[in-house]
Amino acid sequence: MNLIGIVGTNSNTSTNRKLLQFMSKHFSAQAQIEVCEIKHLPAFDEPEGRQAPQEVQELCEKIAAADGVIIATPEYDHSIPAALKSVIEWISYTTRPLINKSVLIVGASHGLLGTSRAQAHLRQILDAPELKARVLPSSEFLLGHSLTAFDEEGHLVYADKVQELDEIFEEFRLFVKINQQLMKEHDFKTEQNKRFSWETASQGGRF
Amino acid sequence: MKFVGIVGTNAAQSYNRKLLEFMKNHFSDKAEIEILELRGVPMFNESDDQSLSPVIQNFNTKITEADGVIIATPEHNHSIPSALKSILEWLSWNLHPLDGKPVMVVGAAYDVQGSSRAQLHLRQILDAPGVNASVMPGSEFLLGRAHEAFDGEGNIKSEPTVDFLDSCFYRFMRFAKVANLLNVPEEVNFEPGTYNVTALGHNGDLPMVVEMSSTRIEKIEIDTSGESQGIADVVFTRIPNQIIEGQTLNVDILSGASVTSNGVIDGVAKAVKMAGANPDVLKKRPKAQSAINRGDEEYTADVVVVGAGGAGLAAAASVLQQGKKVIVVEKFPAIGGNTVRTGGPMNAADPEWQRTFAAIPGEGHTLEGLAATPEEQVDAEYLEDFRIFKQQVADYLEQTKNGQEFLFDSAVFHRMQTYFGGKRTDLQGNKIYGQYDLVKVLTDQALESVKWLEELGVEFDYKDVTMPVGALWRRGHKPVKHEGYAFVAALEKFVRENGGQIITDTPVKQLIIEADGRVSGVVGTGVAGQTVTVHARAVVLASGGFGANTRMLKQYNTYWSEIDDEIKTSNSPAITGDGILLGQSAGADLVGMGFSQMMPVSDPQTGALFSGLQVPPQNFVMVNQQGKRFVNEYGSRDQLSIAAINNGGLFYLIADDKIKETAYNTNQQKIDKQVAQGTLFRADTLEDLARQINVDPAVLVETIAKYNSYVDQGHDPEFGKGAFDLKVEVAPFYATPRKPAVHHTMGGLKIDTDTHVLNESGRQIPGLYAAGEVAGGIHAGNRLGGNSLTDIFTFGRIAGRVAIAEQVRSAEHVTN
Repeated sequence: MNLIGIVGTNSNTSTNRKLLQFMSKHFSAQAQIEVCEIKHLPAFDEPEGRQAPQEVQELCEKIAAADGVIIATPEYDHSIPAALKSVIEWISYTTRPLINKSVLIVGASHGLLGTSRAQAHLRQILDAPELKARVLPSSEFLLGHSLTAFDEEGHLVYADKVQELDEIFEEFRLFVKINQQLMKEHDFKTEQNKRFSWETASQGGRF
Repeated sequence: MKFVGIVGTNAAQSYNRKLLEFMKNHFSDKAEIEILELRGVPMFNESDDQSLSPVIQNFNTKITEADGVIIATPEHNHSIPSALKSILEWLSWNLHPLDGKPVMVVGAAYDVQGSSRAQLHLRQILDAPGVNASVMPGSEFLLGRAHEAFDGEGNIKSEPTVDFLDSCFYRFMRFAKVANLLNVPEEVNFEPGTYNVTALGHNGDLPMVVEMSSTRIEKIEIDTSGESQGIADVVFTRIPNQIIEGQTLNVDILSGASVTSNGVIDGVAKAVKMAGANPDVLKKRPKAQSAINRGDEEYTADVVVVGAGGAGLAAAASVLQQGKKVIVVEKFPAIGGNTVRTGGPMNAADPEWQRTFAAIPGEGHTLEGLAATPEEQVDAEYLEDFRIFKQQVADYLEQTKNGQEFLFDSAVFHRMQTYFGGKRTDLQGNKIYGQYDLVKVLTDQALESVKWLEELGVEFDYKDVTMPVGALWRRGHKPVKHEGYAFVAALEKFVRENGGQIITDTPVKQLIIEADGRVSGVVGTGVAGQTVTVHARAVVLASGGFGANTRMLKQYNTYWSEIDDEIKTSNSPAITGDGILLGQSAGADLVGMGFSQMMPVSDPQTGALFSGLQVPPQNFVMVNQQGKRFVNEYGSRDQLSIAAINNGGLFYLIADDKIKETAYNTNQQKIDKQVAQGTLFRADTLEDLARQINVDPAVLVETIAKYNSYVDQGHDPEFGKGAFDLKVEVAPFYATPRKPAVHHTMGGLKIDTDTHVLNESGRQIPGLYAAGEVAGGIHAGNRLGGNSLTDIFTFGRIAGRVAIAEQVRSAEHVTN
């Protein structure tokens, strides 16, 4: 199974990056997880022509080719970072590779709460018709106290969290397979969603 | 009333902009609305602070001055646009203009939802502690089908919609008035008394006593006897002074000391609480008068020195010794730079003194080994000295053939070790070694520098000759107490007592360069943002290397296969290569920039040198994460670092109770504390120690047994360790985790033996001198331990002397 993990921040130091790097190593027997950075991507500015810059296109192609996507989000001001929102806007504004794609949300924070509110926002965002991702329901992985969560070699040191992550990841793998099966058998208006725009929807041209 | 309206998108076309423009016109007789645009606001990035950039500052000032803020948000993907989120992140990180500010949320969108979901997200975001805005509840204004909402003049067509907007806005005007009352400073009354709290020091909690009368904080006293001197003491004087002066907890933290700064502020806040008052009120008060910009400053001196570390203070002292005026400009609040962080040993060959010590096992081998180097491996300019050295070794061996081996040394031997020790080839095949004339000055004048420091009041400990890690020989002169701080304390005292001026908190931003290329002063930015200009006949750059600037390390690196983004450093955070950039602005040439040194035995968490048990290298026993030795522990720093990196970075220094006694800069109390914190491991058996560090006990026991047998036979057949002292045999046993961290940057400005900075054609840049780590060419590919103090005090001294001789004396000659 080929997955990509998106580091949801442009910061040079990030425990969300560490979390994805850990997952990539820890689950290497079950899946190949390529950790992707967003720090080099330009800020979304709604350009005319709906053409994504090269770096964004590359990420979109990786998403399109992957069996599923893991997003690791920090929490800034009770929501996801602007840098991650910007990437999502690029995706929704251009080729929309997240449509019907299986997504797992994880997050790490220095404090106790482990990005709970950012993750809730991210779920709502990914539910928007122009994104239409299929987010693993009823499972959230919140890693609090992330500054002390990883040892020198990048291993997650909280045993209970490792077990929780193992279970969620197993569930996600199953979810990816079932979702792929579903997509094979049914056409869920993917093409329509790819053409969706609020401008036309508002003029009565819904789907 | 005065409001700011923020257009919540950076798009060229926006109905939210139209909405705000409509509000601005429609309500112009009620309030003034200034519209701010997001175009040009950089994406928030915590690794690249742009809080002080004009565009962010404009938002900060306008919002601070406004009675309220109206945010008009579109909806992108069921949330607010990233561009709007980005400015809110900038305004909730180092700046907090929205704190307590009345905010009205409106929004327009194509579909009937009219940004309903984005508005809910925005309310939650504005509620986050870093933003902490006072958002008007209710009165949700959603403008759906926005593309049909406006007429040709930009007015909202629907009358009921305008009526509702009117009602929302009138309510906001009243809300802003009431909410702003919460921002009016509150009266504070204390229960008079003396309150005992703590401040956070580097080595744990510090007792702090806060004395309060009914209306004022009268006195703050912090007991800093448990702190290492030099680094943190400015925090413990300046912050209490500002708190008392301004009767405020709104105090700027000191750069490089944020943890201790916040520790003091939090401690006083706690005392305020204990006295029955609300510390938040004091946090909202204005800053102390002395922290506020009171206009630009201008000074004149004979010589201005950039950087108040060892090199800069030595240069300043040498200017003062000649009766001339000097000003030292330092970017940090505390002086001392990296010098206060050193262990204190300064290399200088002093054969008369050293021969009073017995040789230790292995040293004879080292001498013979170096003398046996084939001459074709010695570069031409060093060949003559190499032959002298060989003769010295032959004489020494002759003298000691009947036993009674004493510790040999000579300036030529020091020179050959500096040369051989610095000779390296980088990844691109470039060979480098120390420039002969500079290395000659360093090694020939080292002892003179020691004597000079003694005259200025540094007391050296002649009972012991030390060798710091990677020094390769025992020729270290160590101050009796206070390690590196001893040099800084003595030099500071001398400089201040002789009329030298030290301006702290003032990073130099540019050199003053005359039309003819002569450098005639510096311009910096003072603690309150004022411009500080110093005019002088000569400028000495003594600002250190760039060990704390990872970006610059990576930019120039040609030696290490990789420098990690998160690499730690043993350096002061001030050491970011500023002087190299200043030199370049005057056309200076650079030399050897690709070569940086890792300190192999650094703390894995902090990069600091003196944690755990840092012992002399003859007592190092290094084991990797499998419990096996992997290197000659007596080797150079880069050999140790490469070996460590190849063994996974993290490794352990193993010690027993006797080796523990040889550790530098620690005591039993510190050791016990580190064991309790889990940063140092201790056990009664080697097996138990092995288990604590996740190593197979049998492997560690075997490693140590072998090591002990090598000590007995004075020879290490596995790794060829250069010298031995103690075995590992007396419980309890210790393991100190270590990992390489950036320690020294050998490259820098190209100088000559008179410390002139040279340009790319090899010509002197008039008026510009450089000394210490900012300069390159001496240590080349690897600096020997103990050579940096020799470097800074030798070349710092020369810089002061030559600058006066050339620039000031010659100018006097002309005017006379």
